Amino acid sequence: MQQNSKPVMARIWADRWIYVFLLPTLTLVGAFTIYPVVASIWFSFLDWNGFERAGSFIGLANYNELLADPLFWNAFKNTVVFLVLAVPLRVGLALLLAIILNAHFPLVRVFRTAIFLPVVTTAAIVGVVMRYVLDPTGGPLNIALLNSHILGQPLNFLGSAALALYSAVGIWVWKWLGITLIYWLAALQTIPRDLYEAAELDGAGPWRQFRCITLPLLTPFTLIITLITVIDATNVFDLMLTLTGGGPFYATEVIDIYVYRQAFTSNVPRLGYASAAAIFFGIMFIAVAAVQIIALRRVRSGRHDQ
Amino acid sequence: MTISRDGAAPSAGLSRRTLLQGMAMLGAAGLLPGRAFAQDTATIKWWDIFQPLIPLHEKVWTDFAAANPAKVEYTPGNPADMMQSLQLAFRSNQLPDVFSVPNGNAATINSLQAAGWFQPLADSFVFDKPFQKEALAEGFTNFDGKPYSFPIFAIRQTSTSLWFFKDDLAAAGMDAETGPESWDDARKAALGATKDGKYGLILPLQFGDRMKAHLIDLAQAAGAAGEVDWKTGDYAHASQPFLDALEFLMSFQKDGSLHPASSSVDARQGRSRWVAGEAAMFFDGPWNSGVLNGSFKEQIDLISVTGQVPYPKDKASAFNYRAPSTGTFYMSAQSQHPDLVTQVLQMLTTDEYYVALAERMDQPPLDPTAVERANVHPAYKKVVTGYQEYVRIAPDPLVRNTAVGQVYAEMRDVTPGLGEILQGAFSGAFSDPKPILQQYADQMNRERDRAIEAAKGKGAEVSRDDWVFEAWQPGEDFTADKY
Amino acid sequence: MSTMSLRRPAGWTILRYVALVALCLVWVYPFLWLVSASLKSPLEVFSKGLNLLPDVPVWENYARAWGQAGFSRYMLNTFFVTIGTVVVVVFHTALSGYVLGRHDFVGRKVIIGILGATLVVPAGLTVIPIVDLTSALGLLNGHWGIILALAGSGQSAAILLYAGYFRGLPRELEEAAFMDGAGFLRIFFYIMLPLAGPVTATVTVLTFLAAWNAFLIPLVFTFGTPELRTLPVGMLAFVGTNETDWSGMAAAATISLLPVIVFFFFVQRYFVEGIAGAVKA
Repeated sequence: MQQNSKPVMARIWADRWIYVFLLPTLTLVGAFTIYPVVASIWFSFLDWNGFERAGSFIGLANYNELLADPLFWNAFKNTVVFLVLAVPLRVGLALLLAIILNAHFPLVRVFRTAIFLPVVTTAAIVGVVMRYVLDPTGGPLNIALLNSHILGQPLNFLGSAALALYSAVGIWVWKWLGITLIYWLAALQTIPRDLYEAAELDGAGPWRQFRCITLPLLTPFTLIITLITVIDATNVFDLMLTLTGGGPFYATEVIDIYVYRQAFTSNVPRLGYASAAAIFFGIMFIAVAAVQIIALRRVRSGRHDQ
Repeated sequence: MTISRDGAAPSAGLSRRTLLQGMAMLGAAGLLPGRAFAQDTATIKWWDIFQPLIPLHEKVWTDFAAANPAKVEYTPGNPADMMQSLQLAFRSNQLPDVFSVPNGNAATINSLQAAGWFQPLADSFVFDKPFQKEALAEGFTNFDGKPYSFPIFAIRQTSTSLWFFKDDLAAAGMDAETGPESWDDARKAALGATKDGKYGLILPLQFGDRMKAHLIDLAQAAGAAGEVDWKTGDYAHASQPFLDALEFLMSFQKDGSLHPASSSVDARQGRSRWVAGEAAMFFDGPWNSGVLNGSFKEQIDLISVTGQVPYPKDKASAFNYRAPSTGTFYMSAQSQHPDLVTQVLQMLTTDEYYVALAERMDQPPLDPTAVERANVHPAYKKVVTGYQEYVRIAPDPLVRNTAVGQVYAEMRDVTPGLGEILQGAFSGAFSDPKPILQQYADQMNRERDRAIEAAKGKGAEVSRDDWVFEAWQPGEDFTADKY
Repeated sequence: MSTMSLRRPAGWTILRYVALVALCLVWVYPFLWLVSASLKSPLEVFSKGLNLLPDVPVWENYARAWGQAGFSRYMLNTFFVTIGTVVVVVFHTALSGYVLGRHDFVGRKVIIGILGATLVVPAGLTVIPIVDLTSALGLLNGHWGIILALAGSGQSAAILLYAGYFRGLPRELEEAAFMDGAGFLRIFFYIMLPLAGPVTATVTVLTFLAAWNAFLIPLVFTFGTPELRTLPVGMLAFVGTNETDWSGMAAAATISLLPVIVFFFFVQRYFVEGIAGAVKA
């Protein structure tokens, strides 16, 4: 603490090794994370068709047009629906599974590896395979549902506008469940075993143990894992592109796909407009994330007070 | 047909082996660092999306390398992300010397020209046979009077012939040689073939551009001039022929003869599932022959094709219209070897090349007579020779007034586009497509008006009247003298 | 928990196995299909319904993917890029995580704030500026460009993991070493870094997975140089203008999956414990 009384320059000189240690990170993150974001903010004020080397400044016109574009709001809505459905599903299912798999029994490694399989698979391949699995005619899922008389008619999981987004949610949860499972397993390992043993001696059943020990101790992890999952869920570009390409009729067009379509796949691409969409969404998203982080802090400090 | 020629149609069948040979060649190219030869050998970098033509072009490149102190280094592109690759390459000064523009419609080409992507071919370039001279046009292949590019494919073509399994047609009690040429026959054939887990038709609904091309082709067969009604100059997507064509496509779904997977397949998947026998019929262009010949040889003789885009009633009045075409390959403004590039491109203009191009059974070669001399499958010959009978040359405002190019460059995509509207109709996103089509046409008209104003603001002399062609008559070529 | 499960009735154990096996089938079936498609002929790929066995296994698909399509080369490229990225990421995140977690200095709060903010930057359109910059640096067509771009984007989480872990280590460690005359560098490399094994394991595994499957950056960095492509980008080679070589693609996908599955099967324990160790602190 006495350091603080020294002049700033002297402190910086005294800590020179610290800055040397920071240098690689600052260089890399500055070049490949910060600079691109700043550049995109600048792009968002330009009328720029992407073929030209540079655009012309048009102020907030892109943002005005964006707010009036029903397809942008459609993409916004799809992204929010995706988040609201997919995140709790992935976090919840993974917790359930983690509680079952947090034990040593034969084959547990095989089970964990199986659940982890889709995580290590490229989205492009998952897209191809899942389109087949969900196929309305020859797809195994429909055949299984028909044979077990759960369905009378095959469902067009990816081809109907009403179902496609929900199918995409399902596939995304399926693909990424493994990694969340690992996070939960790690969280469960931080709970001391003797707590359960003591509870058992006191005659607490499994449900009571879960409710009174596991759940409260997992609360801070829940927030971190949810935050990580939310970030993941805004980055579904690869999967959505190979699965549906945003269709049918924009039913699965999330923000990433909307941005990509504007920036690269239209006849005359619009980089400025696409940047505006990305930045606008990013700001909204950071606002939501900030609320989450504040909540996380509250809970943490609440715990320390106890 | 002003803004969007069927951009996604290019090219045709290749066997998987040839494609991969192309890739292997790349590998070899990568092993030999170009710099080792830099003193005496120029390297021409070449990117395109015509994988089916790789074997043909390999021969051209070998001959070129034998006769010149240069070699061609080829990179096959993927239609889906080629444009993105080119954009990034342009920004980092790495544009290949020769490249194809995947969505090579006049709008994109004019935007790219305005942004300084191209350079003209060298003065040595000769393109003077009658059918060649006809294929060059200011704003399409030429700028400021200089040739920049040229088409290797014929203008007269469509992507909507109906391909079918002969046995399925015979089983439905129909003529398996002519095929279902009328819409009623097509529906009947599809219904007849729908049984035992097999369906009548599969449509590539996930491939918006292809579906758009199908819709326009069918609407033209029903009497539409194209996307624009030349009498008024207005976009005509909600006119009766378009509504009829859409209803025709939807009727397969209503009849239950449409393969349910249609909604989630693109043209590649649709084609392979059709070939595997899951559906009796498939709408496709001539390149289908090439694909069948390359990868599905055992099926090729079980299949035939209609000689025309299916029409609603009257064969005599069913025509299709195609506007002049942009070029196939462009020379980058960043290329250091304009003379060599012109020489290698010149090799794509010979009679020998046109015949060999026909034999790839892709899009038809620029010289329509080359097909007669080529060794091709009868189905391919039937499709391609048919084009001479029923495909007519459409007018294009850009031919009349080159300043229209600036309007094209200003025009932005209108969403939802035609392909997405089709998706929406089939996926049940709305029940009545007419107001949606009307809205699309209105938006297109407004966007064009906006683009005209913007172009005028930059000094272009254009007006909406450039889109009106009083002299246009159904079933006639709009030749140069009619402008 | 293991002791508890022994005391539970046998019914529960059986039920658990049945449920897990059923669940794993749902997870594994698509991969069985993938392997089966890799052995089918082009006509068979979509036409066999639930039946996973091809009439005659077409091993040639593997030969085609490995040899002609260049997947042997893509595999090498992917290993190089992945290992390079892991090394660079561990190096720079450990360094910065250490000083951020353990030292107070001018600008610390600002840096943590920026890292926190970039944690939530959605990866979207940033590819154009990234390409501009890399091209200006002359790194566009090489593996190092890919490695640096991958190592420089989205690493906030790794830094914060290291910072959290180092913060939890007892002060006395450093002080004792300092008494013995060890310098800043020595303390870090000989005392702190070895202690951070669990975090290093976690960061290694997460970075390995991310780099192995990275698509957009390797794609845009190798547009002009296909011989530098990685496995996920190489998949594009099977998507032709008019057709896709599904069986070749399935074979290539199977080939590219094998190393990661084997890797994960053996490291999962350290992985879980690593994350547990990292978050405990």
